[in-house]
Amino acid sequence: MSACLTFDEVSFSFTQAKVLERASFSLAQGSCTALIGPNGGGKTTLLRIAAGLLTPASGRILLGNHPLASMRRREIAHEVALVPQQLEVPFSFTVEQIVEQGRTPYLSLFGGLKMRDRHAMERAMELADATPLRHRVYNELSGGERQRVKIALGLAQEPRLLLLDEPTQNLDFGRQMDLINLIRSLHSEGIYIFAAMHDLTLIPGTFSSVVLISPFERLRQGSPEEILKSDLLERAFRCSPPRPSTLQHSVSTPSEFAL
Amino acid sequence: MEAEIVRFAAREEAGSSSARLPLGPVIAVLAAALVIAIVLAITCGAVLIPLESVVAFFLHSRPLATDQRTILLDVRLPRIVAAAMVGAALSVAGLLFQGLFRNPLADPYVIGSSGGAVLGASVGMVLLPQVSWMGFSAIALLAFAGSVATIAVVYSLARVGGTTQVVTLLLAGFAVSTMLSYSSYFVEILDRDYGLGLRVLASWLHGSIGVPRWTQVGVVGLLLLIAFPASAVLARRLNTLALGDEYAQQLGVKVESVRIAIIIVGSLFAAVAVSLGGLIGFVGLIVPHLARLVMGPDHLRLLPVTALTGAAFLVLTDTLARTVMAPSELPVGILMALIGGPFFLYLLRRTKRGYGA
Repeated sequence: MSACLTFDEVSFSFTQAKVLERASFSLAQGSCTALIGPNGGGKTTLLRIAAGLLTPASGRILLGNHPLASMRRREIAHEVALVPQQLEVPFSFTVEQIVEQGRTPYLSLFGGLKMRDRHAMERAMELADATPLRHRVYNELSGGERQRVKIALGLAQEPRLLLLDEPTQNLDFGRQMDLINLIRSLHSEGIYIFAAMHDLTLIPGTFSSVVLISPFERLRQGSPEEILKSDLLERAFRCSPPRPSTLQHSVSTPSEFAL
Repeated sequence: MEAEIVRFAAREEAGSSSARLPLGPVIAVLAAALVIAIVLAITCGAVLIPLESVVAFFLHSRPLATDQRTILLDVRLPRIVAAAMVGAALSVAGLLFQGLFRNPLADPYVIGSSGGAVLGASVGMVLLPQVSWMGFSAIALLAFAGSVATIAVVYSLARVGGTTQVVTLLLAGFAVSTMLSYSSYFVEILDRDYGLGLRVLASWLHGSIGVPRWTQVGVVGLLLLIAFPASAVLARRLNTLALGDEYAQQLGVKVESVRIAIIIVGSLFAAVAVSLGGLIGFVGLIVPHLARLVMGPDHLRLLPVTALTGAAFLVLTDTLARTVMAPSELPVGILMALIGGPFFLYLLRRTKRGYGA
């Protein structure tokens, strides 16, 4: 089975810090993969590289069988959509007007929306469960609602691969569960998922594979069982094991995920 | 907690502000309003020309009295057409810049075209008072050239490493524009007529349509004929740019090229308006804002509404400017500031929600 996204020895650094050094991994067709790692470890950067928004210093990225570097921006947008953590919008755009923008890669310079574009918008809103919000003003939505609209915007591109940057961030427990269910249903619709995840408890049962990226460890890829091991996570996240006295009331530390 | 309160307040206000009217009827109403404004402007003035004789003149070519004919064809009509074009140009320029800066408080002069226009006009006033080309005085031509040149300078200053930071563009525009406005005083010291030129210049700077020649109207009309379709293409891109530069880039929009195109078209509108009417404030600020309150923020829908509203609004204001204190005439810019200022402050209080209309 060929991969839908392949990183081959990819290196990337901002002027000061190295983010990726000869990183290699690949997402299988049909996979639902979580990307984990400590804050500032480069999760967002990696997703932006995968979406073609940042160009790596060296190495090769393949989208299907095509090198990302040789694809036009629009061609990439037909295949990959990146749902960012934050989407700030000025003025009182409605949800429908926002989702409409996802069709931009399909429009010609002078052309407007066609029937096909309208269908894609409807389907995107339906998949993301954002249809009831369509006439609401985006800036007046709650965090969970905005997350659904952002996903609908990404889906309007009709991508094969959906990149999600911390989709459960700032959501309460109930909304996190809604979102996990949404990710599952998107996956069952045949959309490949690659999501940066903060909350490791949400990974087992939903994601079939995990990519761990950390400044302190080399990049690793494996099943949730292989990656979510306490010793590996403690090294990657640089946290010391909890002391026995604080263990009972402590917030969840990675060691609790020893599976 | 505070965010919750803000969000709640926003929801409270949403009922009135996110009202969205259908485009067709709104355009029909605005077109009617523009026609009424033009009719009013034709008949009103120091010499009253009855509407029946104007209609008869145009439809049945029944001759008018010579003085009425001269006033109608050489004074009022060109002025009315100029006012409509200036109003539409300033409003659309305001719309483009507000979209580009993602900020409802941007105006057509926001990236510095006014400063360049002031300096250019002063040079024209003092050094070349007799020169003219196709009906445009040296003041108008140099103001046009000044505003275009200033924008080029501001843009190249704000461009760092292949991209332009929008905030840098704003600040550079402000600094350069202020610098140029004040340096116009050096030119004015050279004025040999000791202040006569200054008065003419001042009236021009306060914004006044004056009576243009038909050639001027034609040249400007031709420029607008290029700029309006261009802004229709840019309007859709502005909707996408509202998602932010990076998202627009992800969607295949060439952000930097679109930005340059918006700056060129917007500045062309502003410079064209400056060449006909001097510096008229507030139109370009208020009209897009008002249109957004009624139509919602979709730039494609806003474009025709903004152009028509701006045209009707300036035709009316200009008619008021030349009639309220007749036979003397008020610069339309002053009237605009008196009407527009308070109205704008009212809008400002209303849109404190942070994302503006």
